Amino acid sequence: MSYLPCGYYFEDYADDQKWWRTRFIKGKMILMVVLLAILPLLVDSQWLSVAYTINYYILAALGVQLLIGYCGQITLGHAAFVAVGGYTTALMMLNVPWPQSMIDGGLVYPICIICAGFLAAIWSVLFGLPSARVKGFYLIMTTMAAQWITVPLVITQYVAQIGGRGQAFSIPTEMIKIGPFSIDSDTKIYYFSVILVAVCLVAMGNMVRSKLGRAWIAIRDNDIAAETMGVNIVGYKLLAFFVAGFFAGIAGAFYISALFFVSPEHYEWFFSLLWVGIILIGGVGSIQGLVFGSIFVVMVFKLLEIAVMGSSDLLMASYPQLGWMTTKIIFFKEAAFGLAIIFFLIYEPNGLSYRYWQLKNYFNLWPFSYTGK
Amino acid sequence: MDLFLQLFITGIMLGSIFALVALGWVLIYKCSGVLNLAMGELTMIGGYVCLGLYQRFVTTMPIEYAFLLALIGTIFVGLFLGLLTERIFLRKMIGEPILAVIMVTVGLSFFFKGMVFIIWDTDTQVFLPRVFPIEPAVIAGVAIGQVYIWSFVAALILMVIFVSFFKYTRWGLSMQACADDEMAALSLGVSAKFVYALAWAIAFMAAGVGGTLLGNINGLNYSVSLLGLLVLPVVVFGGLNSIPGAIVGGITIGILQNLSGGYLDRFFPGGIKEIAPFVFMVIFLLFKPYGLWGWERIERV
Repeated sequence: MSYLPCGYYFEDYADDQKWWRTRFIKGKMILMVVLLAILPLLVDSQWLSVAYTINYYILAALGVQLLIGYCGQITLGHAAFVAVGGYTTALMMLNVPWPQSMIDGGLVYPICIICAGFLAAIWSVLFGLPSARVKGFYLIMTTMAAQWITVPLVITQYVAQIGGRGQAFSIPTEMIKIGPFSIDSDTKIYYFSVILVAVCLVAMGNMVRSKLGRAWIAIRDNDIAAETMGVNIVGYKLLAFFVAGFFAGIAGAFYISALFFVSPEHYEWFFSLLWVGIILIGGVGSIQGLVFGSIFVVMVFKLLEIAVMGSSDLLMASYPQLGWMTTKIIFFKEAAFGLAIIFFLIYEPNGLSYRYWQLKNYFNLWPFSYTGK
Repeated sequence: MDLFLQLFITGIMLGSIFALVALGWVLIYKCSGVLNLAMGELTMIGGYVCLGLYQRFVTTMPIEYAFLLALIGTIFVGLFLGLLTERIFLRKMIGEPILAVIMVTVGLSFFFKGMVFIIWDTDTQVFLPRVFPIEPAVIAGVAIGQVYIWSFVAALILMVIFVSFFKYTRWGLSMQACADDEMAALSLGVSAKFVYALAWAIAFMAAGVGGTLLGNINGLNYSVSLLGLLVLPVVVFGGLNSIPGAIVGGITIGILQNLSGGYLDRFFPGGIKEIAPFVFMVIFLLFKPYGLWGWERIERV
């Protein structure tokens, strides 16, 4: 919570907990909506794909933020649940005999998204069950095991073999349709992702500020104390895993529309760690932080790619022996991401959202700004 | 029965390498409380460094000397890298929450992996000319690859050296003191920073030798780092802060991995060898969360 500017007072709790508390915040939000709406007119499709990648990372890391940031259950295997969501959608689209009227009416994809969410949630609860007994490092081990069991074994060896198409599934384009809107261009994928992210973030925000969220935060801060105060910790932990898995399933189902195919290499362990890195860079226990972290990570990757790819001609011309750098861009990305996590944790342990909070308070309290260190 | 014996004995020998790497992990955890997820990458770095040195040396001297020198060189590089890593990245994280420390080691693993592949490329590389002869030795009717036997011997020697270092030398005693009670050790004049640095250096050395041996068995590529990751089921099985647990756990996981590779591959199409230890770990965690000899932590509000 940040300080409010002078002149705003609230008389009851409900007012204090409102989404948009001041006129300035309302204006800011409307400006943001307008900006998001006209973004496709401002940039070309390369940057639109960056934008919906950011949105995909936000959706996927949402569950990680819930588990780590709000419920204190550290998970390093979230890509498994995203994979379950993605493959559920793909398999349902390909193997269920949908009537032609449903395909034309655009009902197939929404149904698939919801089923993907529920299946991923159930899968997530299954691997969350050990959290009733273990925590800390041991829970990390079980979530890692979720990754190793789900992606390389169950999905690659069994699920991906259904239908005998090999590991990668391609999705017929006409299936990806919501109501009358067929999602086939970068602009439409972008709008779809923005709407999905908005819905999920609002749902998450509402959960966090209700009884549910308070119980999760109590468990995160001290689970034994929470239990003595009457919070059913096993129930709430499993609920956290359920909701996180649901978001992951939605993320997986969404990414189908962007790629038109699925393959196990989109769900490697690297991505589980990437999403944890995103919330650490953005700020643990903050929904804004999740957004900042996703933007930061995706932009750093993209800029690194542009820098190396753009300079490759120059590089080849003047230093031909350095040409190998362009072929190894992915390893430069990995090393840069690793260093980014380390330096954020050492020098900026509260993440980007803390800096944003400071900035906001500086202007809210101006000219008598004092916002801590 | 022959197949079983062969798998069993190879499993013990493979497991001794895991035990060596797990020993390094446990030392770090005991002394500084850092849960290190970068162990796989440390293993890989060791393997590649040794390969690089071996390829240099082998042109000028006989194979045995070249390999031995390369191994010693790897140990020294590991010592140096361990001290450096601890000084630059880990020392600032003392006393931070568990997730932050774990993610620093994850960041380290990304950094190391990226660096290794930038320098050495991703193709599988093998020790050529072969260090150990390819024809298997036959012991009591069971054929075992010579590379396994030599790996077993090397891992055993190093484990004895590290354990006796930890038990009997002055530096080892200060490490034990720090592991037992850090406050008390500090007040008696033990330098915690030195102990942490030593623990990381030992982990790097052990992992380096482990990586070299694994590289001799299967060739060096990304999968070596996955084998290094197997250290996690090992330490969970043995208990996080138990050195005998690490050794017993390493050998158990090695046997388990080999047997599941030999017998279950028929029923599960591929990959079960890598997954079996993790499945075993999850089931084991449900029944005995603190491992065989780990300390049980009692929490109070």
